[in-house]
Amino acid sequence: MELAGEQKRIQALFSELRLADEQTVPRFATTWNHAQARTVRPARAFNLSFIAATALLIGALVSLAVWSKYSQPNAPAAVAGTMTASGIVKAADETPVTPSLLDHKSSRHSSISRASRLAAQRRAVMLAINQRAARDAGVISSWESPTSAHLKSQNDELLKSVQQLRENADELKSFLPNKPK
Amino acid sequence: MRIDRQIDEMDIAELKVELEKLHSASFGWALSCCGRDRGEAEEVLQMVYLKILEGKARFRGEASLKTWLFAVIRNTALSERRRSLLRRLRLAADRETRPEPASLYEAPGASFERSETQTQFQNALKSLPARQREALHLVFYEDLSLREAADVMRVSIGSARQHYERGKKKLRESLGQTDNSYGISWRAKENPGAV
Repeated sequence: MELAGEQKRIQALFSELRLADEQTVPRFATTWNHAQARTVRPARAFNLSFIAATALLIGALVSLAVWSKYSQPNAPAAVAGTMTASGIVKAADETPVTPSLLDHKSSRHSSISRASRLAAQRRAVMLAINQRAARDAGVISSWESPTSAHLKSQNDELLKSVQQLRENADELKSFLPNKPK
Repeated sequence: MRIDRQIDEMDIAELKVELEKLHSASFGWALSCCGRDRGEAEEVLQMVYLKILEGKARFRGEASLKTWLFAVIRNTALSERRRSLLRRLRLAADRETRPEPASLYEAPGASFERSETQTQFQNALKSLPARQREALHLVFYEDLSLREAADVMRVSIGSARQHYERGKKKLRESLGQTDNSYGISWRAKENPGAV
């Protein structure tokens, strides 16, 4: 009985709360329209971000193309004569060039020479690395332990020579009393 | 393609009519999910309608429209609360100085007794665990059955019943503590001759 009364009491309190809330409910049309307006906004934002991203991508591609064009070693003849045995680089532009040709192809020539210089420098570095590695290998192979002298003795020669076992065995056979049948 | 679009538009139009009918109840539920914060409840309801408009929330007829809508509101409120946790912490100090939301919505002619009673009731509700508060709200405020409440809360009916019973018990206890001030006035309202 008391529980039912409590239930009614809770029900009444909730009903009261609902009545109070119903007076302050925002209009459906307002809420709906705000929601509809918000559907448009993200689309515009997406377009702007999409345009920005596309522009950025195009810029990156163009700069990559330009960089790859100028960084390629595209003058093999020039590169061929750039290195000596000691790894010193000779620039490709040391070859005699007439002034008129230089005037006509100055921009292209400068880019080619720059590329060839870079390639030559790379080769020189590689050569130096290889030479150093070979030198180090020689040093390692001729290395001797400081205590190796203590391991040597006068009888080393005996240990190095191989005994003639077969000849000795034949001599021993001659001394045997009974020969096998 | 065009036919599909027409069907979608028709569905949205039909849904809009149904949503309008449920708008008041939806707002009440959003208020409960947002700790009686009116601004947050409006924001959540807008986001729910946005989800429906964008097709992120689709009604497939697996449950009643009210149950489905309430579940969407609950999920949206939960995720929104999680997202704005830092913002809420920053504004916590500011909110403490504000008056209680319920007192803002009182009708101008409401008696002091009623306001006092409601404040005590809402404080008691706030002190309940979220699940228990949800179960009580769905049953008493929204007039849903326990099964429907369980669907909204995404729990089994047994679990919903447990939350409901425990919530009722705790609420009774909380209200019992203020029985001297509250009980007499309530009895006086229910049965004026007894007091």
